[in-house]
Amino acid sequence: MLTIIKIRQIAVPGLLAFILAFIIAVLPQPVSSAELDDDDDDPPQDLILRGDGKCTACHDENSDNPILAIGKTKHGTTADHRTPTCTSCHGEGGSHEDSPDKALMPQRTFGKKSVNSIEDRNSACLACHQGGKRMHWSGSTHANRDVACTSCHTIHTEQDKVRNRNTQPEVCFNCHKEMRQLINRPYRHPIREGKVICSDCHNPHGSAGPSKMVRDSINDTCYTCHMEKRGPFVYNHPPVQENCAICHNPHGTTAPNLLRTRSPFLCQQCHEPNTHQGSSGTLTGAYARNTLARGCANCHTQVHGSNMPENIRNESVFQR
Amino acid sequence: MFTNALNYKKFPPAIVLLTCIVTAVPAHSSGADADPLKELSKPRSVVNIGAGQLFNDNARFGQYTGLRNEGPYGIFNVDIAKRNDDTGTWFKLLGRNLGFQNRDVRFEHSKQGKWGYVIDYSQTPRYEPFTVNTAVSGIGTTDPHVPTTRTTGNPAQLSTERQSIGFSFNQFLPGNLELHLHFRNEEKDGERIFGRGNRLGEPRLSGFDGRPSPRAVGGYEFIPEPINSTIRIFGASLDYAGKDLQLSGGYYGTMYNNKNALLTPTGGSTVGGIFSPSQYAPIALAPDNESHQGFLSGGYSFAPTTRGTFKVAYTRATQTDSFSPGLLTAPGIGANLGGRIDTVLAQTGLTARPLQKLSINTNFRFEDRDDKTPVRFYNPMATLHDLNGNSWNGLNNPRSFRTITSKFEANYALPHNFRLIGGIDYEHRDRTGTATNTGHRFRTDELFYRAELRRSLSDTITGTISYIHSDRFGSSFLTNTTGSGAPFFNLIAPSNLADRSRDKVRFMANWDPIDSLSIQVAIDESIDDYGQRPGSGLGLRKGSARNYSLDATYIFSERLQATAWFSRNETHVDQASRNPITDGGIREIWGTNLHNIGTSVGMEVTAKPTDKLETGANFMFSDYTDKFNQKVTLEPQVNIVPNLSTQYSSLRLFARYDIRKNLGVRLDYILDHFKTNEWTWTGWRYTDGTTLTQNNNQMVNFAFLSVLYSWQ
Repeated sequence: MLTIIKIRQIAVPGLLAFILAFIIAVLPQPVSSAELDDDDDDPPQDLILRGDGKCTACHDENSDNPILAIGKTKHGTTADHRTPTCTSCHGEGGSHEDSPDKALMPQRTFGKKSVNSIEDRNSACLACHQGGKRMHWSGSTHANRDVACTSCHTIHTEQDKVRNRNTQPEVCFNCHKEMRQLINRPYRHPIREGKVICSDCHNPHGSAGPSKMVRDSINDTCYTCHMEKRGPFVYNHPPVQENCAICHNPHGTTAPNLLRTRSPFLCQQCHEPNTHQGSSGTLTGAYARNTLARGCANCHTQVHGSNMPENIRNESVFQR
Repeated sequence: MFTNALNYKKFPPAIVLLTCIVTAVPAHSSGADADPLKELSKPRSVVNIGAGQLFNDNARFGQYTGLRNEGPYGIFNVDIAKRNDDTGTWFKLLGRNLGFQNRDVRFEHSKQGKWGYVIDYSQTPRYEPFTVNTAVSGIGTTDPHVPTTRTTGNPAQLSTERQSIGFSFNQFLPGNLELHLHFRNEEKDGERIFGRGNRLGEPRLSGFDGRPSPRAVGGYEFIPEPINSTIRIFGASLDYAGKDLQLSGGYYGTMYNNKNALLTPTGGSTVGGIFSPSQYAPIALAPDNESHQGFLSGGYSFAPTTRGTFKVAYTRATQTDSFSPGLLTAPGIGANLGGRIDTVLAQTGLTARPLQKLSINTNFRFEDRDDKTPVRFYNPMATLHDLNGNSWNGLNNPRSFRTITSKFEANYALPHNFRLIGGIDYEHRDRTGTATNTGHRFRTDELFYRAELRRSLSDTITGTISYIHSDRFGSSFLTNTTGSGAPFFNLIAPSNLADRSRDKVRFMANWDPIDSLSIQVAIDESIDDYGQRPGSGLGLRKGSARNYSLDATYIFSERLQATAWFSRNETHVDQASRNPITDGGIREIWGTNLHNIGTSVGMEVTAKPTDKLETGANFMFSDYTDKFNQKVTLEPQVNIVPNLSTQYSSLRLFARYDIRKNLGVRLDYILDHFKTNEWTWTGWRYTDGTTLTQNNNQMVNFAFLSVLYSWQ
């Protein structure tokens, strides 16, 4: 059996390598990188977007601000009548086009040295992207904190980093530094594997929920993956119903199960020191049961709520 | 057999076949198109295929990828994008990590501005990082068997896996309307750590009758929970997008179905008689539940600088999963809980600029979560006095919440591109419920005051500094009472209900001293002061959090740039509780200063030494420390909980060489190191003999070689 496994382990990559070699051999060679026709006598012709000739005459891939890659994106799909032109976003650029050495900038720019207000820059995007998931942009935290659309999005490239599940967190970490550290803690969501990313839970364009949650509340957002916690149960644990984040930090923790603090300390932030609930943390003796393994949940296993209707003992202590 | 199955998962032949077919398409369709403009402006497709070798077994590196066992793995990624320029029709196929167990596939076919649909598949494993050594049998089933005495077992690997398939569709309609439909089905299977237990008297103590007692060791059994459930999310919306008015109305539904209603372990310890762990069976598992929401949200631009938004929604969530027959239920409770929660949400916001230099922003949100689950007498046994002389009402405990939040913010423009911002937020929460095991108050209110100075436009320095103060207060705490009505303990103000005063300062600055250098500094600090129950001094007392980061990016040239960063996070909580009765008969008050300190550094360098060669290195190191400083107030005794320390570091190197314009070779190397002294499971042995262990020093090397082929 072991031999078969090893053969398979070796054979599968080998087969794929062969297939790849075959594909490479069959496919045509790429086009040569011939220079674009830059005959100065020709009037500027549109290359991608309607009316882009006066821009693309200078801004080819060799300029400081290459723009042709926009043609690879949805903004470059001219069959869609809604597709913008250069001036839709940058304004009419007569002064820029005519100024010596292009010292005068276009009416609206989006780079680091832009003199346009953030509100003005964003208005170019919102002219088309105001509805749907961006309905609540106005008044959102990001809008109020002068975050420009182009702080996160790159328009003239085929791959917008923030829309790629592998790279999106890097963009968010540009401002949210604390999260950069939390996601690598021992107990975490699979964020660095790209299986859970910021926008799975947060709508950076604003929402009707708190903390820009994609659903209407923190709990409703958590339920999109952890619906088993929703209940309602015969016996509910009140903080569970109110806000998952009372006990959990979803961005990463050093306590198991993304708990903000370990047992028994976390539980003691609410629970009366009746008898055993008040014991201090210890790794030895009888009360180690409150600290080691699952801590208080060694006995109170159903801490998210129990749907056990049996009439045997006080089931409200979540023991089964 | 298990290993064989895993290998099959690593490289499903169907995916290989599918991709081969797809990648073969350009061979017949791209032709000898020599238009250089096309190369620069038309969508490009890439396939990345290769093989790698994982040199070490591990538990952490592959926790969510399946890269756990030493051996070869396939590298396979595809990103195919084709567009018909005449019609605006897109065809996209994205396959990520197809050679691993955490693969994603996304297929999109759309006619831009007309219609589109997406089908996607996602697979997410989660391997328990601790290895279970157990004699418990039937893992993954609803009827595991537990040894009656401590028994040496065998290693077992617990894991779960999610597999989801989604479909969405959109269609543009006349009149600026757009229809959206979406559906997602996610299956989750596997097993996870679970158990049962009770504190018991010890046989060696005189007068032992098995009853729970405060100082007893107890009986604890490992009962893995079987996971076999389905989540479905679906909905439809009709959107209107006009120049000034945008609306979106529709339906959002969710359903949870658990194929395991009850966990019915057999065996187990009988020590302790009716209090023994074996008596805790069956165990209820998560019930089926569902929700249905109707919503309408929208925005209207009254003027170029004045816009209002709103959302209203009504949601009904129900839980009517049948109680399993044969359970010892009280008469009259019915066949199921009859759980029903109706939630009303109304939210509205307004932004405006009444003066050239003054902008305002207001927001109001009302959420009423009304738990209409009928209250029934589920447990007459609970009314009997327990060992501590307490009794409970035996009723189920539906809880309703009503939350009202409102915000007001004013933003005034100052000279030199500075802005001054001031804001007041108010949050009001009403809760139903009673004081039982914890304190309770019906109402809390929290007021936030915020002042901020910001500079967003500058060639060299932008930044913000802000101060936030908040006060939380509320109605009187209810008096906890025993079953006989006598006052019970009233010592703790729960963390989410306690009075709290919070001060927070934030500073963030971006400084570009020269064109090639960018520096970013971020600092924030908050201090919390909690109020306690009168005369108590127990519960949360103080808290603080401090974060500071320094980032620098330097562009040496177009071909070389480097980024380095440092971050530190410190949180501190000061809280107190009270020990159970000791041998001396004293209930000691003890406190703890919980410190959590995280320090991280990172560096990334990317270089392009030649037109054909691109290289990069990314290094990150983090150190996390938890300190548990326990102090006893009245006696010099103190339990010591050792500090927890975890280090995680990662080094990633890559080099890519372009053999041709559309063909490259890429070599990647990953060094991943996880080191900890975690004691969570060290020294813990379940009554049945089960232990959990992990390798505290996990060093992983993963190297892979792949080729990238692109075409248009």
